[in-house]
Amino acid sequence: MIKYILNRIIVSVPVILGSLTLVFIIIHWLPGDPAQMIAGDDAAPERVDFLREQFGLNEPLWKQYLDYLWNSLRGDFGHSFANSQPVLERLVAQLPATLSLAVVSTIFAIVVGVALGVLSAVYRNKALDYVVRVISLLGVSMPKFWLGILLILVFSVHLRLLPAIGNGSFKQLILPSFALGLTGAGMLTRMVRNSVLEVIQEPFVVTLRSKGLTERAVLYRHVLRNALMPAITVLGVLVGEMLAGAVVTETVFSRQGLGKLVVDAINQKDIPVIQAAILITGIFTIIVNLLVDISYSYVDPRVRKAR
Amino acid sequence: MKKSWVKAVKMATILLALTLLLSACGDGSSQATQGANAAEVDSGPVTPGGELVFALGGIVTDDNLDAHKAGNAQNGRVMRSLYDSLVVELPDHSIKPWLATSWEISEDKKSYTFHLRKDVKFHDGTPFNAEAVKFNFDRIKDPATKASSSLNEIGSYVSTDVLDEYTARINFSAPFAPFLSNAAKVDLGFVSPAAVKKYGDKYPQNPVGTGPFKLVKLVPGTEVQFEKNPDYNWAPPTAKHQGPAYLDKLTVKYVPEEATRISVLQSKQVQAADIIPPQNLVALKADNQFRVQETELLQVNFSIYLNPQKAPWNDLKVREAVRAAMDLDAAVKTIYLGTSKQAWSPISPSMLGYTPTVENSWKPDAAKANQLLDDLGWVKGADGIREKDGKKLTIEFIDTQGNREKRLDLMAVLQQQLKQAGVELKVVSLPSGTYSERRLKGDYDLVAASQFSGDPDVLRQIFSTKGPSKKNNLARANDPQLDQWLEDGYLENDPEKRKEVYKKAQEWIIQNVYSIPTYVFQYSLASVQEVNGITFDSPGWPVFYDAWIKK
Repeated sequence: MIKYILNRIIVSVPVILGSLTLVFIIIHWLPGDPAQMIAGDDAAPERVDFLREQFGLNEPLWKQYLDYLWNSLRGDFGHSFANSQPVLERLVAQLPATLSLAVVSTIFAIVVGVALGVLSAVYRNKALDYVVRVISLLGVSMPKFWLGILLILVFSVHLRLLPAIGNGSFKQLILPSFALGLTGAGMLTRMVRNSVLEVIQEPFVVTLRSKGLTERAVLYRHVLRNALMPAITVLGVLVGEMLAGAVVTETVFSRQGLGKLVVDAINQKDIPVIQAAILITGIFTIIVNLLVDISYSYVDPRVRKAR
Repeated sequence: MKKSWVKAVKMATILLALTLLLSACGDGSSQATQGANAAEVDSGPVTPGGELVFALGGIVTDDNLDAHKAGNAQNGRVMRSLYDSLVVELPDHSIKPWLATSWEISEDKKSYTFHLRKDVKFHDGTPFNAEAVKFNFDRIKDPATKASSSLNEIGSYVSTDVLDEYTARINFSAPFAPFLSNAAKVDLGFVSPAAVKKYGDKYPQNPVGTGPFKLVKLVPGTEVQFEKNPDYNWAPPTAKHQGPAYLDKLTVKYVPEEATRISVLQSKQVQAADIIPPQNLVALKADNQFRVQETELLQVNFSIYLNPQKAPWNDLKVREAVRAAMDLDAAVKTIYLGTSKQAWSPISPSMLGYTPTVENSWKPDAAKANQLLDDLGWVKGADGIREKDGKKLTIEFIDTQGNREKRLDLMAVLQQQLKQAGVELKVVSLPSGTYSERRLKGDYDLVAASQFSGDPDVLRQIFSTKGPSKKNNLARANDPQLDQWLEDGYLENDPEKRKEVYKKAQEWIIQNVYSIPTYVFQYSLASVQEVNGITFDSPGWPVFYDAWIKK
C-alpha cells in the first residue's frame, strides 16, 4: 500500500509541473498587460513602465518562467500585483472558509445522495422513486445562484432561522452548503440509483438471496458496496468543483473563498495570485483523488488484490 | 412500512409546495404601504451607542483601505469613515475649513498655504501637523507608492514647505483650479506617517487616519469592522454635532449580490444597504419600516462613446444618426422605473459648471436618422440592417463590466431602437485584459462607461489628448479646440470663468456627439427606520459620523 501511495505521489509531480506550465502559458498568452491594468487605462506611460519593472514583467519570458518554477518549488509565491500582499497570506486567509464549505457540502452530498439513491433503487418505479428522481433532477439542473437566493428568501427573510451572509459560525454554513451540495447530491443520487439497479440484477445477488440472507443484508452488505464504486469516482471530481467552483455560492452568500479570490485575480490579471491558487487547487485535487483511489481498495477487495 | 412512505412523500410534497409559495410572496411582504416618506419622520432625541451594520454593494477591492491607493467607489465609501480631509465642499461647491482652519492662495495661483488645526491626532496617537501634510502629498507623488486616482487629484503638485509646525505650503508647477475641491475628497485624506512606516506594504490592510471611526479588524474579502474614535473632536462644519461619533461600532459587510443585499436588509440582519435596484427601491420607499436616501453621485454619467477615429463613426453625420435613432428617455424610464432621469451632459447636474443649455439639445427622431443614413448611402439589406459597399452598419460595443446598474439591460433596449433604424448593435463581453488592450488600441466601435469625480476637470481625462495618460482618452476625441478649453478649465481659478469654459466644452462635446450621455445615477442607501442621520460628502460617499440608531 505504502509503495502504491509513494508511486502515486511521484506520478503527481509531472502532473503539477504540467499544470503550472499550462497556467503560465495561458496567462501570458491572454491579452492584457497587468501593469497597465493595475495602473488603470488613464495612467501616464511612465507609471505603467515603472510598475512593469516592479513586477518583473520586462524580463524575458523564459526567465520569468524559470524564476516562477524555482520560487514555487521553494514555496515562495511572491507578492500580489494588486495589493502587494504576500500571495500565500492572501490565500491562507481564504482557506478556512473554502475548506469548511467544501467539506460540509461534500458530506451533505454524500449522505443525501447515497440515501436517496438507495431508496430510489429499492422502491423502483414506486411513487417515492419518482419523487426522488424529480428532486435529483432539480438538484442537478437548478442554477446555484437562483437556489441560493431562494434559500435566503425562505430561511433567512421569511422564517428568520438562519443568517444569509458571512462565514465563521456553523449556522452561516448551512444554507451555502445546501446550495452548493445539492448539485452533488443530485448527481450522486442518480449515480447510486443506477449502479444499485445494475448490481441488484447480477447473479451473485440471486445466489445470496437463495442462500436465505435477509433482503437488508443483501442490500447493505453486498449490493451497496459494489454499487458505490462509480459514486466514489464522481466524488473525486465533485470535490475539485467545490473547492474552486464555489465562486457563485460564495458571492450569493457573501462568504470568503478561494473561488472568488481567483476570479478577482483573473480579472485583474494578478499573475502571482492566479498561479499560486491553481497550484493549491491542483494539489488538493490530487490528494482527494489519491484518497478516492485508496478508498476503492477498502470498498472493493478485488482492487486490493489486483495491486 | 409502505404506508409510512406514502405519508413521507405527501409531507415532502407539501413542504416543497410551501417553499415555492413562500418564495413567491417574497416581494409582497415588503409592500406595506402606509403614507409619508419615511425620511421626513421626526425621530426624537438622539440616542447614542450601538452598532450599525452596513451591507456594501461590491467589495473593497484587494482589501485596500489606503486613501491614496484605492481608487474604487466602494473603497471610497468605506474610507470616508477613516480619513479626514483638509477642507470640506458644500453642495453649492463652496469650500469650508476642516483640518485646515484657513488658507491663502499665492498671487501666481501656484501655492496654497494652509493653517492647520492644532488639536488633531491620528488613531495611533501621533499628531497631525505640517510634517504629516508634507509626508502625505509627497507619498502620493512617489511612484513607489503606486497611488491611484489620488495621483490625478494632486495635478501638477511639486512640493510642500513646512513653514512651522502647523503651517504648510503646497506648491504646484502651474495653477490647478480643481485642487481645493479635490482636497475635500477622501482620496486626499490623511494617512498616519508613523503607521505607513510601521506597516510598509501592509498599510492598506492596517489603515490609520484621523477620522471619526478607527479600524478594529479587516476580514479579507468580506468585511471591515470599525469602532468610534473617542478622541474625535474635529468634525467639519457640515456635521450636525461635535465630539465623537454617536455609533459605538460600524461594520461594513461586502454583499455584492443585489438580491442578497436586499434580503439581509429586509430581514434586518443589517441596518443599512446601498445601491438598491430600481424595483426594490420602489418597494422600500413605500414601506414604513425602512427609509430610503438618494443622492446624485458627482461624476461623468454613464455615456456612450462612438469611436470617432474609426470609420464610419468618424463622420459626424453618422454619429448624429445613431443618436437620433435612440429614444433614451423611454429606455431610461423602462429600465430604471423612474428612479433615474435621462442625462443630457457628460457631467452630472450637480457638478460645478454643469450647463442646462445642453438639455433637450437633441431628440429622438427616427425620420432624421433614416434620412441621414439614406443620404450617406447606407441602404437597408434583406435582414433590415443597412449596408454600404458590402459592409454592414454594425456597432461593436465592447464591455467588461457586465450588468452593473442594469447597464446592459439599458443597452439592450437601445439595441432594439437602433435596429428599427437599420443599425445593428453587437454586445461583445470581454475579460478585462482583452477589453483594456482593445480599448487602448482603439479597436472597437463603441465603449460605454462612467467616471466618478467631484470636479469637471475629469472631462480632461475623458476627452482631451492632454489628459493624465497623455496619449489617448476614452472618447477618442482628437480636437484641439476642446483640448484648449479643458486646459483653460483647470488653469483658471475663478469659478465663474471656469463655468463659462466648461459650458462651452459641454456644448461642443454634445454638438459633435463625442459622447451620448444616458442616465443620471442616483446613489441609493436604504436603512431600517431606526437609523437616522446618515449624510453624504461632496462626491456622494456616505458619512456615518452623525448616524445614530433609535432605541
